[in-house]
Parts: sequence; C-alpha cells; structure tokens
Amino acid sequence: MKNKHEGWGWMLAVDFFFAGMGGAMLVIAGAADLFVGEGRTSALASFLGAAFMGLGSGLLIFELGRPFQSWRVFMNPKAILTAGAWTMSLAIGAGFVYTTFSFALFPWSGWVLVRKLTAAFLIVAGLVVAAYPGILLGRLKGRPLWSGSGMTSLFLTSSLVTAFAAHYLCGLLYPPAAIGDVLAKFPAVTAVLLAVQLVLWVSYLWVKHSSTAAETIAVKRWISGEYAAAFKYGFILAGTLLPLALALADAPLFQAAGAALTLGGGLVMRLLVIYGGNADRTWLPGEVQYRSRLPHGDEAFLKAWNK
Amino acid sequence: MSKSIDLEQEGIEVKKSCCYFCHQNCGVLAYVKDGRVLAIEGDPTFPTNEGGLCCRGNIALQHLDHPARINYPLKRVGKRGEGKWEQISWDQALGEIAARLTAIRDQHGAEAVATAGGTSRTDDWARRRFMNIFGSPNCFHNSHLCWIPTFMVETAIYGWCPFDLDLGTSRCLVLWGQNPGASSMPEMHHIRELQAKGLKIIVIDPRFTETAAKADLWLPLRPGSDLALALAWVNVIIHEGLFDPDFVNEYCEGFGELADHVEQFTPEWAAPLTWLTPEQIRESAYLYATTKPGNIQWGVAIDQVGKSAGAAMHARAILRALTGNLDCPGADLLTGPSQDSVTDEEMEANDMLPAAQKAKQIGADKFKLVTWPGYGKIAELSKKHWGKAPTAEWMCEAHPPSVFNAILTGQPYPVKALLVAATNPVNSYGQSKTILEALRAVDFMVTCEYWMTPTAALSDYVLPIAGALERPTITNSYGCADYLLASQRAIQPMYERRNDYNFWRDLGVRMGQEEHWPWQTVEEAYHYRLEPLGYGAESYDEFVELYRFHFPEREYYKYKRIGFGTPSGKIELYSTTLKELGYPPLPEYVGPTENELDDPDLAAKFPFVLTTGNGFMPFHHSEHFQIKELRFLRHEPRVEINPATAAELCIEEGDWVWIETARGRIKQKAALTNGVHPHVIVTERGWWFPERSMAEPELGGCLESNTNVLTSVADEHCDPLSGTWANRGLLCRVYKVDGDAKGGK
Amino acid sequence: MARYAIVFDTRRCIGCHSCTVACRVNNELPLDMIYNPVTTVGPAGVYPNLSMVHVPLICMHCDNPPCVDACPTGASQRRDDGIVFVEDRKCVGCLACVMACPYGARVKNHATGAVQKCDFCKDRVDAGKLPYCVLTCHQKARVFGDLDEPASEVCKLVNGQRAVRLLAELGTEPYAFYIYG
Ligand SMILES: Nc1nc2c(c(=O)[nH]1)N[C@H]1C(S)=C(S)[C@@H](COP(=O)(O)OP(=O)(O)OC[C@H]3O[C@@H](n4cnc5c(=O)[nH]c(N)nc54)[C@H](O)[C@@H]3O)O[C@H]1N2
Ligand SMILES: Nc1nc2c(c(=O)[nH]1)N[C@H]1C(S)=C(S)[C@@H](COP(=O)(O)OP(=O)(O)OC[C@H]3O[C@@H](n4cnc5c(=O)[nH]c(N)nc54)[C@H](O)[C@@H]3O)O[C@H]1N2
Ligand code: SF4
Ligand code: SF4
Ligand code: SF4
Ligand code: SF4
Ligand code: SF4
Ligand SMILES: [Mo]
Repeated sequence: MKNKHEGWGWMLAVDFFFAGMGGAMLVIAGAADLFVGEGRTSALASFLGAAFMGLGSGLLIFELGRPFQSWRVFMNPKAILTAGAWTMSLAIGAGFVYTTFSFALFPWSGWVLVRKLTAAFLIVAGLVVAAYPGILLGRLKGRPLWSGSGMTSLFLTSSLVTAFAAHYLCGLLYPPAAIGDVLAKFPAVTAVLLAVQLVLWVSYLWVKHSSTAAETIAVKRWISGEYAAAFKYGFILAGTLLPLALALADAPLFQAAGAALTLGGGLVMRLLVIYGGNADRTWLPGEVQYRSRLPHGDEAFLKAWNK
Repeated sequence: MSKSIDLEQEGIEVKKSCCYFCHQNCGVLAYVKDGRVLAIEGDPTFPTNEGGLCCRGNIALQHLDHPARINYPLKRVGKRGEGKWEQISWDQALGEIAARLTAIRDQHGAEAVATAGGTSRTDDWARRRFMNIFGSPNCFHNSHLCWIPTFMVETAIYGWCPFDLDLGTSRCLVLWGQNPGASSMPEMHHIRELQAKGLKIIVIDPRFTETAAKADLWLPLRPGSDLALALAWVNVIIHEGLFDPDFVNEYCEGFGELADHVEQFTPEWAAPLTWLTPEQIRESAYLYATTKPGNIQWGVAIDQVGKSAGAAMHARAILRALTGNLDCPGADLLTGPSQDSVTDEEMEANDMLPAAQKAKQIGADKFKLVTWPGYGKIAELSKKHWGKAPTAEWMCEAHPPSVFNAILTGQPYPVKALLVAATNPVNSYGQSKTILEALRAVDFMVTCEYWMTPTAALSDYVLPIAGALERPTITNSYGCADYLLASQRAIQPMYERRNDYNFWRDLGVRMGQEEHWPWQTVEEAYHYRLEPLGYGAESYDEFVELYRFHFPEREYYKYKRIGFGTPSGKIELYSTTLKELGYPPLPEYVGPTENELDDPDLAAKFPFVLTTGNGFMPFHHSEHFQIKELRFLRHEPRVEINPATAAELCIEEGDWVWIETARGRIKQKAALTNGVHPHVIVTERGWWFPERSMAEPELGGCLESNTNVLTSVADEHCDPLSGTWANRGLLCRVYKVDGDAKGGK
Repeated sequence: MARYAIVFDTRRCIGCHSCTVACRVNNELPLDMIYNPVTTVGPAGVYPNLSMVHVPLICMHCDNPPCVDACPTGASQRRDDGIVFVEDRKCVGCLACVMACPYGARVKNHATGAVQKCDFCKDRVDAGKLPYCVLTCHQKARVFGDLDEPASEVCKLVNGQRAVRLLAELGTEPYAFYIYG
C-alpha cells in the first residue's frame, strides 16, 4: 500500500540504461561503418546493442501491471511510449540484421548498399532510442525533476558515453574485423563525453535549483537529501571522475576498468533519475500532509476481518 | 449504491429507511430485493439531508454484514473476559437472564439491577418501561454529558427547553461549544445557506474548528471557562442596557436580583479567566443582543465542563430571556412536548415504579436535578402546563459514576447486575480505569451490541442487535420534540439479530410483564403512538410511505396565551425550582474544574489545559473503528498540539506522546496545528483497537489511547445540579513516548 | 454535446471526507485507492488569527489531458463531453499516464494491474444522475453540471465568480474549478 504515489521502479531504470546504451551502440556502429568503413567496430557490440535493447524491452514488459497485454503499447501513435516502442523494435531488428553482415556465412553479407542503408537507419533509430527516455521524462509537466528539455541531452549524453565504453569493452573481448584505429580512440571520446556530461549535470541541477519551489525541493534530494550520497559518490565520483581519469591513462587495463565504471555510473544515474523523479510531484495544496497521514500498509487493522 | 448493481432490475423495492450512525437520522432510500439490501442512497426528498450522506452513512452496507458483527446470542463459557463464547438460542439466553435477574431481585432488591445506555440510538423508552415494571430506578445513560442537564436547567427556568431553533428568519446564531461542521453536517449546510443570506454566526470554541473557520466571529476561550463568559455577557447585556425591557418586565421574574448579582462579572473580570479580551467579550455580547432575532444553539461542550456546568447552563439560559429571544419568530422556540402523538414518556410506564423505589435511585441524594427529586418536580410542573412531561429515560437517571462506584464498594447498596445496551462505557464514560474495574467486578452483565466491544467482551451474555436498516425509527429529539420523522425498516433483521425493543419486551414477557407489552413488534408500538395524529394510516409502514413526517403548525408567542411552565408562570431568571432543590437560584461563579488560578500546585505539575473529545469525522464516539473504509482515513488517534508548544517539548508531527492527568495517562499521536492555543491540548475521543485481541488483558487496547482515562468523575468535580462530570477544561501534561512503548497503564 | 465540469466551492467544504468514502464504496475501489482526496490547508497564521480551507481533489478532466497523450495503448481517452476515462480492458499498467498527470488523479489497482481514475461516474451521468460524490455532499460544496447549459449552476459559478483552476500554468485546461473565500 503506497500512501505517496505510484511510481516507476528499478526495472524501468535498468530498461532505460540498457535501451539507451544499446541504441547508442548501434549509432556508433552505424556511424563508424558509414563514415570510416566496414568492420571498424566489434560485431559483438552491434549484436549486444540490439540485445541490450531487447533486454530493456523485456524489463519494461515486466514492469507493466499487465505484462501479457504488452502488445497494446503499439496502439497510440500520438504517445511517446508508442513511438519509443516502435523505434526500439525496429532498431532491435535492424541491429541484429546489421550484425549478420559481419559474418560471411550469411549469404547477404556482401550486399554493401543494404548494409550501408541499415547503418544509416541504425544511426537514426539508435539516436532516437538513446535520447527517448529523456524526451519521455521531460514531457511530464507535473514532475519537477524531469520536466523540461534538459533531460533529453542528459540521456543522450549518458547513452553515448556508456555506448562508447561498451564498444570499447566489446572490442577487447571480440576485436573488430578491421584494424583497431577507431576503437583505440574510444577511451578518449569517453573521457570527453564524461566531462561534457559532468558539466551538463551541474548546470542542470543549478538551473533547476533556482527555478520553482517544487524543482528546488526535487534537486535538494540530490544535493543534500536522501539521494545525495548515491549522486555524489556513486555517480559523480565513481561513475564520472574516476573513469574519466582511467580513460586518460594509457593502459588498456585501466581503460577497460574505466569503461566498466562508466557503465556503472550510467546505471546509477538512471536509478537516481527514476527514483528521484518519482519522489516528487508538484504537490497540490495540503496534499503532502494528507498523504503522510494515510496508513503505510502494515497496520494491523488492514489485515483484520478479511472474509 | 454500488456501481455493479442494476437498480432497474425486476423485483426491487425502495424502502424509506434512515441512517442511525448519529442523531441526524438522515433519510436513506434502501433498494431491497428478496430480503436483502442491495444498495442505499441518501433520500433526496428528506428535509434534512436532501440526498446527502456523510462518511458513515455511506458505509451502511459494510456495517450491515461486517465479518466482525455479532449475529447470534453468545454466552460466556470461560472466565470473564477470557474471550470464550458459546452460541446459544435467544430462548435460552432470555430464559437464563430472566432467572438470574429474578434471583438478584429476590436477594438484593430490584434496585440491584442497573442498566447503562449511551446516546440516543434506539428505543430507550422500552428499556425504561421494562425497568419501571421490574422495579428498579437505576437506569442511566452518559447523556449526562450530552444535552440532558441543559434540558433540565432550561426547563427549570422557562418550563421547557428551547432546542427547536427557528433559524429561517434568525439574524444571529451563537454556536456555543458546538461544531456542526464535524458533528452535524446536514445542519451545517442549512446554517451556511442562511449565513450567505445574512445570518451572523458567533462560534465559542477554544479550537479553530471547521465551523469557526467560517464564522463571523470566533471567541477562542479557555476550555471550561464558559461560565465566566456567560456571566460577563449577562453583565454587558444588563449594564449596557441591551436587554429587552418590555419582555423582561412582563415575562421574567428576578431581574433585579440578577442585575445585582452580575454587577461584579464585568468583561474585565472575565478576561483573565476566559483568555479573551474585554473588547471581544463586549463585542460578542453586543452582536448577540442587538442582532435580533437570534439563537443560541445547544452545543455539548458546556454539558461536559464538570463542576461549573449547571451554573453555565443557567447563565446561558438567562441570555435568551434577557434579549426576548424566546418563542418568537426567528428565535429559540418553546414548542413543548408533542400534543398530537403518544410521547416516549407516555410509553415508559413511570407510574408503575413505586415511590419507595424512586427514592432509592443512586445519586439522587447528591445530584437532584436529573434524578427523581428534580425530575419529579419538573415533570409535575410540565404536566400541569403542557399536559405531558419530558422523557424520563434521559431526564431522570441514576448518577452513572455513583452506580459504578456502588458496584465496586457496595455503597450506598450493592449493584449486582448491569444490562448494557447501545453504549460502550469503557470508552465513553468518565474515568475509564474505574469503569473497567467495575465491569470486571459486577456479578452479572448482559450487553446488547453490534460488535464485541471492550464492554461486551467482559459480559456474561452478548446479544446480537439489529441496526437502522433492520428496524423502524422515529426521530424526535429524545422523545421531546413536537414534530417527528418516521422511517421504516428496509429488511427484517439478518441472522438472529433482534431489535432492542424486542430484547426488553421479550425479557419482560418472560418475567411476567406480558400484559404490559401489547405490541409484539416495534411497528405495532409505533402505530399505536402515531394513531392520534389522525392521518388514518392503517399501519406504521403506511404512514412512512405516505406521509413520513409530522410537523405541527407552529404557534409563536405561546406564552402570551399560556404563560411559562414554571411555578410562577413566568421565566424564572431567579429560579425557585433550583432554589427548592437546594441550589443557588442565580448562577454563581465557579472556576473551571481544574485550573491554574484555584490550584497553582496542580498547574505546576500539569501545566496545560486539556479538553477531551469533540466530534470528528469519520467516527462516532467509540464506533466504526472496524470499518476499514473509514479507518483508512484516520487510522490512529491524534492529539492536537500547538507547534510552538510542541517545539518546546521536542515533539514532532506524528510522534507518539503521553497525555497525563491526575487520573492516568494515554498515548496518542501528535498532530501539530495552529488551531489550538499554545497552552491547550485536545485529545480525540472514543479510541480502541478492535483489530486486536478482545480478550483480557488486551481487551482491544481499550485504555491505551482512550481519552476518558484522563477525565474526572470525582463528586467534587461533578456539577452539583446534574452530576455531569468533567471532560473539558482539565489540567494535563504532555511528553514524548520513549521508543514505541505499548500500553497506557 | 455537453461539456461536463465540476466546481468546488471551498467556502462550503468542511473537509468531512464523505465524498471520498462515497466514491470508494460505490465504485467498489480497493482500500488504498482514492480518486478524490480532500486536503486541509491550515489552520494558517498564528493563534487566534487563523484561516483554513479544505481542498477537494479529483481528476480535473483536463481539456488538454497529458494523461491521454501519454497513454501508449489508447486506454486513456477523452470523450467529446470532456470526460476523461480509462478503458480498463486496454490498459497495460505502464503508469505513463500516472506520471503524466500533474494532479495525482490516477491510481494503480494492485489487484488488476491496471490504472484507474475518476470517470465523473460517467455511467450515472449518462443515465441523468449526479456522480456519487456530488450527491453525497451534505454541504453542496461540489457542483457538477454542463458548461454548455447557460442556465446550469456550474456555468454561473465558473463564469460569475472567482473560479480558479489548479496548476493552470501547466496548460492542461482543467474542467474542475475552485472557488475560494
Ligand atoms: N471524554 C469525552 N467523553 C465523551 C464525550 C466527549 O466529548 N469527551 N462525548 C460524550 C457524548 S456527547 C456522548 S453522546 C457519549 C456517547 O457514548 P456512547 O453512546 O456510549 O457511545 P459509544 O461509545 O459509541 O457506544 C455506543 C455503542 O452502542 C452500539 N450501538 C449503536 N447503535 C445501537 C443500537 O441501536 N442498539 C444497541 N444495542 N447498540 C447500539 C455501538 O456499537 C457502540 O458500541 O460519549 C460521551 N463521552
Ligand atoms: N463525527 C461525529 N459527529 C457526531 C458525534 C461523533 O462522535 N462524531 N457525536 C454526536 C453526539 S452524541 C453529539 S452530543 C454531538 C455533539 O456535537 P457538538 O455539540 O458539536 O460537540 P463536540 O464536537 O463534542 O464539541 C463541540 C466543540 O466544543 C469545543 N470545546 C471543547 N472544550 C470546550 C469548552 O470548554 N468550552 C467550549 N465552549 N467549547 C469547547 C470543541 O473544540 C468542539 O469543537 O455530535 C454528534 N455528532
Ligand atoms: S450525518 Fe452521517 S451518520 Fe449522521 S445520520 Fe446523516 S449520514 Fe448518518
Ligand atoms: S463531502 Fe463535500 S463538504 Fe465533505 S469533504 Fe467532500 S466536498 Fe467537502
Ligand atoms: S497505465 Fe494504462 S491508461 Fe495509463 S498510460 Fe498505461 S496503458 Fe494507458
Ligand atoms: S487530471 Fe490527470 S488524469 Fe485527469 S484528465 Fe487531467 S491529466 Fe488526466
Ligand atoms: S465523480 Fe464519481 S468517480 Fe469521480 S470522484 Fe466523484 S464519485 Fe468518484
Ligand atoms: Mo452526545
């Protein structure tokens, strides 16, 4: 029994993490292919990009109140979630198709034009998927932490940064067919993006903090409230600054560790954003006191006299 | 009515029933099929509620068949309070109870059997009839706390109690210790409608209530200081010439004595006692006295202030007389008893109780107004004047705390049996710990109930009682109104429940009273009562279906024709009736029951002023804590504390705190509010926890948060006139509960 | 075509919660689901200079309902007469609408997994009756009616008085109006 308000749970946060990362991984794979050339990124990465999105969708389905009805989410073209569901499904398909081009055993692996077209599609669809959680959250006007356009760039950046890190790791595990010239640059790119992300977050919280009262309250949870430790140490220190330093070290082992931490940081950020955003609505007059006085759900009277 | 129920289906009958979860008796339409109530809704044509129903009214069906309801007669098999019961037949139960009562009467006299009641919820005239024929004068209710003393003081002075307000054309309404915004919602609506048309509302209440928030003038007085305020109003009205000289000259006795008497009670005198400013007192007295016609509506607060209650009622009653706000259009009406129907009193068979038994009524020696000495005198005057008397079952009662004492001490004589119907004394009477002891100690106890209350749990027999949908109801203000509203039963009682009426009648029949109970059903009795109205209805149900109400034609200024029902035939500001009973004929000042001026030592130990209880939604006294739909809205007891005080005591919102008086302590959860004075603490009433074990020692946690642990019934704290005890204006202290300690020992 | 609206006259509301109970009982809602809480603001000020107002909340039946836009399944809909409701069969319980509604008007039914909300008692309204919560209010603090009906009480209240909307700045165009002191 919830006396506050219904909110999304960890599964959605993890979905946002995997889907965003997966989408951005496909963007990178597609872009590398289109602008540099074939086989520059690991096939494992494009495979996992699609698989991560699939995993995310799976979690999203479990998060639903009625998982078996999940097909219905494709039904309202005006809803962002519907758009997201369609894009994600198509991107997953395209991602798997794209992966097959890396393997000669598929008869179509030599169809260059199709591959290039697929790569182009991956860039577009992947970008949408990478940014989409931010767009979704940003439109929720009654949620002070999320509302506005800021979330979009935050999610896009985070998706990209985690995707570069993931690509790097994939490359280590299953090196790309062509030489590693592209892959070797990824730690540096990751580092730059981490720095950008840090600036974005600081500005985001700064701007929110000086906006409406509700937004100030929401931001306080991150700066000094119940989420401050996770934000400061989990996200900023262990998920941003440390990997940034590691990425700049010139040793693959350190860089790999940095990449792994980057992924962790991305996950922490998603959880923080979801839980932090759930915590506040723009409360209506008297609502906070009203809800605080309702039962919590463990009261004895609730369990008594059940027929 | 439930969304999923098709009310157009065939075979549905619509019954004109009512809600009886408070005295408002809102009209209810019950949709009935095959003896089951499928749905209910507020009756849009009923004059008071106009289709509205409050929280409680809406849960009638949840109440009707709640899993915790008592549906069969139960007989105790284990030790008292052990929670072991055997289901038996009504036949067996009544047989055994009759035998036991007979044996007690044979051994100790009929007066050793007492009955306890609560607030008007059922056919209490039947109880009195049974007891009168049985021979015991020891019927009582906790109505001492609720209107009855007011009724009797006012009747002593004006010859009737002006409880019927002619609000339609009134211009000023005083709500004195009343909060209709939480306790009588249909009334609140009508008041607000009139306020929108210009009616001025003065609220006299220490709390910033739902009603105070909407008042034109709010007087936030110190709890228990009502007498000082009333005396100061009298002073202002007399000494600043605001009274109605013609009315006073022609119709009132004792004005001169009164004027002299109140000279000392200036607003400046009252200010430090009431915590009001002299200006506030003057302004409010002016507003009432000069905005005419005006009304003073009864509120329960004064009935509960303890030792100053009677004098406060007297002083307040004088106000109406001085301003002539009596029995004229827009004022408080002296309707007298119903001339057209058979009244409750006429159903009570009071003549059958021998004078010798009347004389034995417990408490009648100490508190004479609401017992046979005062009631007898006033009833006689009333009969002479109106031809009828007020209901004895309410206005003439044994003194409850003295009866509980008699159980424990055998003084003035032993009380061996207690028949409890429609009350839960452990939670609603004063000084709960003593009551609990008495209930544990009494030889024989029977409780007629809906639920296994803490009181029922200590009984020898618990009998299942039918509720408002299962019985007919006549609404007429404790049998004292000249009008009536009639509702019918929607269905026959479910399971083996019976009406209270049938409990008393069936018991009476078993004890040889058969000839005195000619009406087998409540409907037959009601039909008998309504026949003189002359509507010619063949049955009670027909009356309900065709007419439903009876409002006699209103006659204003009756006193011009018949005078007042007092010994002098005038309003007795200087009351000879009170004087003859040995009380001051004019209201003398007494301080609040416990207060900082008279008892600084006590105040040093208990620095806050406590007022216990006031109606709050969604509960009714100690009822409805089982109804989850209601409990969800207010699941824990709350004590109101001013935030500044709380900060000083290191108490935060939601903390469990102890509230302690000289009688004991309880815990409730701190609810910080600016709505109370920093020196005032307000506890909620009624609380027990039916979800817990109902066996000893837990007994539903009936003392843990029960505010009546704190109240005082000591003789010296009771009003000398009526014996009403002290719930409001006491001294207490408050401190945080360490950890989450259980129990309020 | 009608355009339904509700006006809350906070001058009349006493915070008795009867509307909450009437809605819950008659719409057969599980215990933890409340469509229409009534909050209390105050007593504000310093004793004894105080004010207090009770605020009945409800689905605002927004003219521009973000909940409908957010719903991926089409379960959340807005009728032409303005009533916003959830078609239970279609709801997957994704909570997008819950997050989108700025008024906290939507609640998840933990038994069915779907999201529910006040539907202005549309079946009753279609049958010409008042919503449960409106009928039950002793104080007549809830006025329901058709804004396209110039003679209706809602119309008069919305046009003639200081009727305000909650969170009007969000552009959701609520059709629940509030009259304060
Ligand atoms: N401290 C403090 N104490 C107070 C008050 C206060 O303000 N402060 N208020 C006082 C007032 S005004 C009153 S009226 C009293 C109320 O005191 P009571 O009338 O004793 O009220 P309850 O404790 O609710 O007990 C009523 C019991 O009767 C049962 N009941 C209800 N209807 C029927 C019926 O038709 N037949 C039978 N047989 N049983 C029925 C209910 O289930 C319930 O258990 O409390 C008084 N006590
Ligand atoms: N919700 C609900 N409604 C009820 C009941 C219920 O239990 N719950 N009970 C019913 C019954 S039996 C009765 S008698 C009526 C009573 O209804 P009311 O007459 O309205 O009585 P209360 O609400 O008990 O108290 C009225 C006010 O007295 C104030 N007060 C406290 N101490 C003092 C004081 O010393 N002096 C003055 N002047 N005021 C004081 C309280 O703050 C409270 O607001 O309500 C009936 N209606
Ligand atoms: S006010 Fe409420 S409890 Fe009292 S009769 Fe009406 S509906 Fe019933
Ligand atoms: S029923 Fe009416 S008065 Fe009571 S809380 Fe609801 S809107 Fe306010
Ligand atoms: S929870 Fe149901 S109604 Fe709400 S958006 Fe999802 S599918 Fe639509
Ligand atoms: S109040 Fe919320 S649920 Fe109701 S229409 Fe507006 S957005 Fe939708
Ligand atoms: S209109 Fe109907 S559904 Fe909406 S709050 Fe009122 S009773 Fe509940
Ligand atoms: Mo009462």
